[in-house]
Amino acid sequence: MRSSFEVFLGSKSGEWLVRIIQIGLGLLFIYASLDKILNPGLFAKSISNYRLLPLPLLHISAIILPWLELICGIALVINRYQRAAYVIIGSMLLIFILAITSAMVRGLDFYCGCFSVDSEESNVGLLKILQNIGLFLSCVLIEYRTVVVQPKS
Amino acid sequence: MNQMNKLIKDILTLIILSTLLGITAQAVLPNGIGLKTEITMVGDDSTAVAVPAVSINPNGNGDAASNISLENAHAAYENNAALFFDARSPEDFSSGHINQAINLPVHAFMDSLPYLENLNLSRHIITYCDGEDCNASIDLAADLKMMGFSNVNFFFGGWQEWRDAGYPIESGP
Repeated sequence: MRSSFEVFLGSKSGEWLVRIIQIGLGLLFIYASLDKILNPGLFAKSISNYRLLPLPLLHISAIILPWLELICGIALVINRYQRAAYVIIGSMLLIFILAITSAMVRGLDFYCGCFSVDSEESNVGLLKILQNIGLFLSCVLIEYRTVVVQPKS
Repeated sequence: MNQMNKLIKDILTLIILSTLLGITAQAVLPNGIGLKTEITMVGDDSTAVAVPAVSINPNGNGDAASNISLENAHAAYENNAALFFDARSPEDFSSGHINQAINLPVHAFMDSLPYLENLNLSRHIITYCDGEDCNASIDLAADLKMMGFSNVNFFFGGWQEWRDAGYPIESGP
């Protein structure tokens, strides 16, 4: 027996809602990637501020992550490889949430490098965590629709 | 099972594509970085800490601020030869700072532009924050360098090292 929420998700309106969220997420990740792609050194500096990653992995992460955001963002917008993109974006969001939480717990004070590498961007904080949780839940919702509500036979 | 295999294959495809594009881009971008993280040692010899070179010089333009030791920072203070910029928050600054230092929180750098624009770009500036647990002094020094100041040092030992040495301090805004 399906709940009314599941029925809605399976309907045409649900499909449209999911498509709109998917394009929105895609555009957001494309936007978030551009400044980091153009300023890899500044992005590496942002990552190093978290003091979580072993130094040998710093440059490699700063080189690959923004492109992963861009490619996954494009995949969501054009609706190709979208499930893989959701898994990657969901995993990245989960890591961001843990990293920001860990930085807050350790009392580190720095800008998070979430959407740009601008040092005027807001610092790590509760709002950033909630923002990322919201995005993560969007990914979960869409994956839930794909896997549970409308599984392909 | 087929769907799971396809998903894993797709994930790997996106990761490999991003890796290839990312590495290629570094060769094309004027400010591209290498795959290997370069390390710079900062702090006094006895308390040197390894930090990524990009922390000090994110644009890799070869004109980065450098570290200044406690001894040299104190000499500059005694000779009234440098301006000390405290990169911490106003609250931290109020609770105690290097005597005659100016509070210039790194996260509100743009707010300080009207003040900075009136300074001579060749003026010797020393930035500091709490000490080894913070990077704000390095960030502020990098911002000042980008703004055109030519003689900028960050004092990585910071407030803690200065206070522990018993050098002049004051509190209040």
